[in-house]
Amino acid sequence: MKIALLGNPNTGKSSIFNLLTGLRQQIGNFPGVTVEKKSGSFSHNQKRYDIIDFPGTYSLTPRSLDEEVVSDILGKQNSPDFPELIIAVVDSSRLENNLFLFTQLYELQLPLVLVLNMWDLSQKKGIVIEIEALQKQFPDITIVTTNARVGMGRERILAAIDEPKIRNGSYFIKDDHPQEGLTAKELRKKARDRKDKIELLVDAVLTQSEKKERKLLDRFFVHPVWGYLFFLAILMVMFQFIFSFASYPMDFIDGSFGNLSAWYSSNMPAGVLTDLISEGVIPGIGGVVIFVPQIALLFFFIGILEETGYLSRVVFIMDRIMRPLGLNGKSVVPLMSSLACAIPGVMSARTIGNWKERLITILVAPLMSCSARIPVYTLLIALVIPEGYIFGFLNIQGIVLFGLYLMGIVGAFIVAFVLKLLIKNKSKGFMLLELPSLKPPRWGDVFIGVFEKIKIFLFDAGKIIIAISIILWFLASYGPGEKIKNSRFSVISSEAYQLASEESKASMTSSSSLENSYIGHLGKFIEPAIEPLGYDWKMGISLLTSFAAREVFVGSLSTIYAVQDEGDEPKRLLESMKNEKRSDGTATYTLASGMSLMVFYVFAMQCMSTVAVVKRETRSWKWPLIQLLFMGVMAYVFSWITFLILS
Amino acid sequence: MQMNLSDCKVGQEIEIVSITDDFIATKLIEMGLTEHLKTKVVLIAPLGDPIALDIKGFILSIRKSTAQNIVVKKVSEKQIDI
Repeated sequence: MKIALLGNPNTGKSSIFNLLTGLRQQIGNFPGVTVEKKSGSFSHNQKRYDIIDFPGTYSLTPRSLDEEVVSDILGKQNSPDFPELIIAVVDSSRLENNLFLFTQLYELQLPLVLVLNMWDLSQKKGIVIEIEALQKQFPDITIVTTNARVGMGRERILAAIDEPKIRNGSYFIKDDHPQEGLTAKELRKKARDRKDKIELLVDAVLTQSEKKERKLLDRFFVHPVWGYLFFLAILMVMFQFIFSFASYPMDFIDGSFGNLSAWYSSNMPAGVLTDLISEGVIPGIGGVVIFVPQIALLFFFIGILEETGYLSRVVFIMDRIMRPLGLNGKSVVPLMSSLACAIPGVMSARTIGNWKERLITILVAPLMSCSARIPVYTLLIALVIPEGYIFGFLNIQGIVLFGLYLMGIVGAFIVAFVLKLLIKNKSKGFMLLELPSLKPPRWGDVFIGVFEKIKIFLFDAGKIIIAISIILWFLASYGPGEKIKNSRFSVISSEAYQLASEESKASMTSSSSLENSYIGHLGKFIEPAIEPLGYDWKMGISLLTSFAAREVFVGSLSTIYAVQDEGDEPKRLLESMKNEKRSDGTATYTLASGMSLMVFYVFAMQCMSTVAVVKRETRSWKWPLIQLLFMGVMAYVFSWITFLILS
Repeated sequence: MQMNLSDCKVGQEIEIVSITDDFIATKLIEMGLTEHLKTKVVLIAPLGDPIALDIKGFILSIRKSTAQNIVVKKVSEKQIDI
């Protein structure tokens, strides 16, 4: 049986969804649009239920893309997602507000279960709802009370959907006019009539004994000084955790995959397949898995901020500040998510109702340094920035990392401001935002959210990354014609080789075969273009492969140097890079070229998946191409300037 | 005394008199803000924008530009002072 889970935002709908499905859920898209579709399944009494958790909405007349999906699907009986039963979730402490959507759903004449959630909270607030009186008004549906936050009410919902009441054609407000073609005035009148009737109903079924004042915390959160300082402090704590704590599991993952690779190549019969697995596949998978700790931590924190209701306070205090930049208070969430990955960031811009503000948010989101850049930054910082402290406590490497992030953020704001002046406005900006009551997070929901995000990352991004690693290995190991073999021969027969020590002999042959591989030719081809920035052709290869996805950078270098070091003990990547020399004998990775490379990564749009998502979200190739162009120009110009200053 | 919602101060108790824009009015009704509703300005963001109202226990934030479309009148302020 197909079930639709519907309700206002902040009613605990997702908690109900998690309560019913546990971890048996997937996130996909509704056909034709990119609105996230959270679906899951569960069984009860030998019956299988497929349930879709629709985006939260206040009514069936949409005002954003998210809400449009709900009315679209409920309006089309032949849609594959059209439900056979609706579970409507209502926050019982805010019955009157929530009934607007519910009474609209009631008129669809589908079997309906009304879930009065947050029952404990409403009782704490002194609210008494007479369920019998409510049932009298809606006789042909089942009403259940739940308390999903503490996991109560699952059995009651299961019993209700097992034998749903048959609808008898009752309605709340007889509605024989179609919604389309009504003037704004008529729509207003209809909404008003519904609202008036709900008010009468609520007066009859609900009594509230006392009204409590709270909001002390809110005064603090939106305070002109403390509010912003607190938000800044939260961000600092988040990033401290993400960078310091995640490094332990990341080092462990890095080491384990390195060992696995070495073990595999020494224990398996030598051959192409063994090389492919130990130099292509295993480092490729390792390069994906290594991001999991950071992504998990970031979404863990964002999950907590969202669950507690604090995030909406951030939107509240940031809205006025973001607007002169052409953004919206709600842009804070997409921009923050983009610090993990621009893909969920761009997608989460859908909650922004205003088209122009949404577009600008999408266009600048990839400038926020995502977690895929972290390995690039950390590797290069370790390579070219000396360890040490300023003032005895400020870690220099940490300051550089912070500076790179700041560069991306400031860049995003400046670009947003320029775009605001360039893009013509289509609609008037208005934002109605609910500030849900503050509450402790439900840990189960936070963890399920983290789990889902990791699953998407591992399977969606992982596939691409591994495929590219394998292709790369091939391109680095083979070359056109007999050139690779010939080059080896010509090196061996050269005079310099005869005079060189045993150690440098090996390195001379292997780097020469890399140079003559397919990828070597490609890197050489673009070398003139990137030379002003301080890069050599090996970096060029990594830049090229990074356009598929930035996280490939480290993997590419690993593969390149693994191929180069063939036959030797597999070295740690950092060591190989430190020893890397230019043809004139100077180090390849200097402060100037390293910083220039980092700045390039701050600005460049090196992510095919993001391009694809922006295309889907803006429904044209125009915007992703513009984005690719301006980010590319920024990357080239700023890394060039960086190299000039530092060298 | 009638005034625009955008000119209210924190803690002020008010009654909604009228909403000029039909489209905005519809959206506000869906979120519980209707004419004749008695409400209170509970929070104002730094820089005076947006404004948050308490609508029967539900906190709704609206931008100042939207609030300019809403005419309100003050409800007696007897509970303030002392």
